[in-house]
Amino acid sequence: MSQEQVLEPAEAGGRAAAPPTTAVGVADIPAGGGRSRLLDILAIATVIAILIDLYGALLWAPTEAVMGDVQRIFYFHMPSAWLALGPGFTVVFVCSIMYLVTKDLKYDRIAAASAEIGVMFTTITLVTGPLWARPIWGAYWTWDPRLTTTLVLWFIYVAYLMLRSSSAAGHKRARLSAVFGIVGWVDVPIVFMSIRWWRTIHPLLISGQGMSLDPSMELVLFYSLAAFTLLYVYLLLVRVRQEDMRARIDELRQQILSR
Amino acid sequence: MSDIGFLFAGYGVIWVILGGYLYSIGRRQSALRRELQRLQREVERGL
Repeated sequence: MSQEQVLEPAEAGGRAAAPPTTAVGVADIPAGGGRSRLLDILAIATVIAILIDLYGALLWAPTEAVMGDVQRIFYFHMPSAWLALGPGFTVVFVCSIMYLVTKDLKYDRIAAASAEIGVMFTTITLVTGPLWARPIWGAYWTWDPRLTTTLVLWFIYVAYLMLRSSSAAGHKRARLSAVFGIVGWVDVPIVFMSIRWWRTIHPLLISGQGMSLDPSMELVLFYSLAAFTLLYVYLLLVRVRQEDMRARIDELRQQILSR
Repeated sequence: MSDIGFLFAGYGVIWVILGGYLYSIGRRQSALRRELQRLQREVERGL
């Protein structure tokens, strides 16, 4: 059996001919799944970037005049939200479409990895938001459109991950996940536009007049967005590599079973 | 809780979630590597 073929459990009796699949990166995985120099360099760069970000957010950025120091949560809260809505779940959406078009399981693996990271960052968003809100709004939570649609988004992608964990690996799971990943993404633009479409108490940062922030705060925010994006890229590469290893393990098991 | 308390709680939660996720990734990496090595040895033995 070639490295590119994956035998699936028979879906309707007998052996169904599985579409060809490319296990991206499997050939590049060092024997035994050893360390990757690129990932090590990226890890170090990410740690340094986040530490600088921490310094900028907690010490360098000026104190907000009305909200005080609690506003500094914003420098990690907003990038977390950006990573979930932007790269995180949008990569799931795009890769889900790519899988349905090409039937290449590598897209399914990338989608799964990105969904998991997206859920992690959405969790950070949903927890840090209320911790900022309590002293500012006087309540941890309100059923505000932005908060509510973000919570719905979290549930959607948690369900996506649960769907995947309850199904056997292969094209059937990939198809189900792809459809779910595409339909679930519909909530992403709703979350983004919620503060523009409906009455909300969530702060509006970007309006027709540009960003409503002090220039030095803007600088810290943009740096934070860049540092978090680097973190996302690193986590995605690590997770995709793990998914590739998992695919390789499945291949080897099938190879042993078919002996 | 004071404003600074909420600030530290916020950043504390971020590190707990991120740290927990990185730990989870690390454990999965170790388990996958062990299993991959085991299967590769088994395949080589069978050749």
